[in-house]
Amino acid sequence: MKRRRHVLPGFGLSLGITLGWLGLIVLLPLAALAWRAASGGASAFQRVLGDEQVTAALTLSFGASLVAALVNGVAGFLTAWVLVRYRFPGRRLVDAVVDLPFALPTAVAGIALVTLYSENGWLGAPLARLGIQSAYSPLGITIALVFIGFPFVVRTVQPVLQDLSLDPEEAAACLGAGRWLTFRRVVFPAVLPSLLAGVILAFGRAVGEYGSVVFISGNLPFKTEIAPLLVISKLEQYDYAGASCTGLVMLAVSLAILASFHLLGWWQGRRFNR
Amino acid sequence: MAVFTEPALPPTVSLSPRSATSDPPWIRVCLVGAVVVFLGVLFVLPLVLIFQEALRKGWAAYLGAFADEEMHHAIGLTLQVAAIAVPLNTVFGLAAAWLVARFRFTGSRWLAALIELPLWVSPVITGMSFVLLFGSQGLLGDWLAGHGVKVIFALPGLVLGTLFVTFPFVARVLTPQMQALGRAGEEAALTLGAGPWRVFWSVTLPKVKWSLTHGIILCSARAMGEFGAVSVLSGHIRGATNTLPLHIEVLYNEYQFVPAFAAASLLALLAVFTLILKNLTATAAAGANPS
Amino acid sequence: MSIHIENITKRFGRFTALDSVSLHIRTGELVALLGPSGSGKTTLLRLIAGLELPDGARGRVQFHDRDVTLAGARERRAGFVFQHYALFNHMTVAENIAFGLRARPRALRPSRAAIDAVVQRLLVTIQMPDFGHRLPGQLSGGQRQRVALARALAVEPEVLLLDEPFGALDARVRRDLRRWLREFHDSTRLTTLFVTHDQEEAFELADRVVVFNDGAIQQAGTPAELRASPASAFVADFLGLPACAV
Repeated sequence: MKRRRHVLPGFGLSLGITLGWLGLIVLLPLAALAWRAASGGASAFQRVLGDEQVTAALTLSFGASLVAALVNGVAGFLTAWVLVRYRFPGRRLVDAVVDLPFALPTAVAGIALVTLYSENGWLGAPLARLGIQSAYSPLGITIALVFIGFPFVVRTVQPVLQDLSLDPEEAAACLGAGRWLTFRRVVFPAVLPSLLAGVILAFGRAVGEYGSVVFISGNLPFKTEIAPLLVISKLEQYDYAGASCTGLVMLAVSLAILASFHLLGWWQGRRFNR
Repeated sequence: MAVFTEPALPPTVSLSPRSATSDPPWIRVCLVGAVVVFLGVLFVLPLVLIFQEALRKGWAAYLGAFADEEMHHAIGLTLQVAAIAVPLNTVFGLAAAWLVARFRFTGSRWLAALIELPLWVSPVITGMSFVLLFGSQGLLGDWLAGHGVKVIFALPGLVLGTLFVTFPFVARVLTPQMQALGRAGEEAALTLGAGPWRVFWSVTLPKVKWSLTHGIILCSARAMGEFGAVSVLSGHIRGATNTLPLHIEVLYNEYQFVPAFAAASLLALLAVFTLILKNLTATAAAGANPS
Repeated sequence: MSIHIENITKRFGRFTALDSVSLHIRTGELVALLGPSGSGKTTLLRLIAGLELPDGARGRVQFHDRDVTLAGARERRAGFVFQHYALFNHMTVAENIAFGLRARPRALRPSRAAIDAVVQRLLVTIQMPDFGHRLPGQLSGGQRQRVALARALAVEPEVLLLDEPFGALDARVRRDLRRWLREFHDSTRLTTLFVTHDQEEAFELADRVVVFNDGAIQQAGTPAELRASPASAFVADFLGLPACAV
């Protein structure tokens, strides 16, 4: 007689639906990408990655994403701290606004940001008077990436801060430690893994971002051309090999980020013996 | 071992119970102020600007922007794509959440990670992958042309791209909720003789209805706002394959700022509405969890 | 209905919860599965209910003369009461109790009126006759546990399994419910198995007590037998008996 494997029903059906849909919608197209990129062989890869325009675009995308992620790390952490630890009028509103970049369509954010930071924009004008060009520069790109990555840091750190027991802090106070020391040595190490995770998330999100950035960047090759846009222009020129190689590099980075995020979670789980 | 010396407290000072773990008031004010300014400048300002630019030439021009036929088509197409993609991904999300939350099997962690994969793929890469698969020069291009089926630069392509991009949204919200709620309810129903579908309908679904709603709302908002993937997949054929976000781009690039921001304001309102609904369903979901 | 368990082994990863356990429960007995946390008693109870499946091919579970080893929880239909009640919070008390009857296939389902009668009868049995329209969220812990009992009894199971049924309740409620359970068992003679880590509770309620430790049965016998001759130092220690009684 066939040995039953699971107590609850529906294993076969849910496994079938999950794997089938996953394979069809996600894995199949990505496999096509990998296939197309590989079909040009190693030489095509070398040609594409050696192309200065490509390296410039990738450097810009990764670099701006990193800076944005770090800015978000600081700002996001502060926001999470303020939301969890303090009571102030309008707290719920602030909490809701955090999710705005997540809910707002990227193209909408894109045109709003470029208008805001252009030379006669509400923020662009004062910055221009200070001699800082924001729109159509790497700075503008970074600002846009800070915009879209912000909720990831906050929403990753917030639950961890929320669940943090206050007892160790009280113990530290009883032992005579001041607030800053307590924060540095007791609180911050406990939330650091989640902060890192959030920064990684924000970075991963920023690397592939298109809609919010494409308007404010101006897309000058070698200067403000982000990698996703380069991929699009290669597609439009039917340079499928070039587009797919660049795309595969970006995808590989995304996967590495996803893997490190999960590894971080696993490490954190082991650390606290969950 | 360091020894900290604290100044002696005057005997009349009474401390509130939690002062050992709360920060001094001036720090609180500074941090809250900094956060509010940061959020205001970075997030609220652009939102306000959208509406300001949309109404720059007054209400007549604003409303007139919506009378345009291409705008109508763009809105209709956006809704159509969402109406197809969201239910499909909802069914998937339910199946995936059931699988991951209720069963232990080797590779379940890998599966959970794979389900999250679409969140990490750039929308442009997504679009390109489908082009490489279904486009005229793609893997299945010849087969599709032979059967007269148009995927890329047509509705199916838009739907596929949207499906990819919104793939994990429902599953992501449902899975932790189902894990947190535990299996006892379903086990109880089984011991009482209920069949699989009855267990699902009568016990599981009511328990997760708020999370499910939350997930569907997120999925819909994302589906309607998707830009990068559909940009690659649509071919930008005006009046035929332009969703609302794409139409915004077209209008903006033609310097038609008021119509562009008018359309943007519509999506911005949707975003605000999404946030409100999200807030409500999240509180409802938290409230429905028995302690 | 008697329960016969033979050579049941259950592992969770590297942890062996039950190691080749055998036990026989006679029809109409009220048996306590007693032991510290992690000793395997809850695992055995869930195995009997069909909520866990045994490892290996040698283990056997029999209800009377029916081999139910491979049958699912749905087929075995042992009445199961969970430690934290597992009530359907979106259904009223009456709907909770009626659930098992309503879940039957059309051919075997009683009429609406018959179901309502059963529900009402059970509400009286658990001494909550006017609570039919309440929601679980409006009830106290003890009331919820009584509803859980009524729900399990509605489908007329041949065996009643209770997993630390009074563990989450305070002392007075626990006492009252224990008394109720003993009286209920005396009047119905339904084969009942309950898991507890409270030695006093086991001794007060059960006809027979089975002491568990480390996934194995240390001793099974009436409370008097256990008191008189504990089989091992562990049993003596767990029951608070002087060590020299071994």
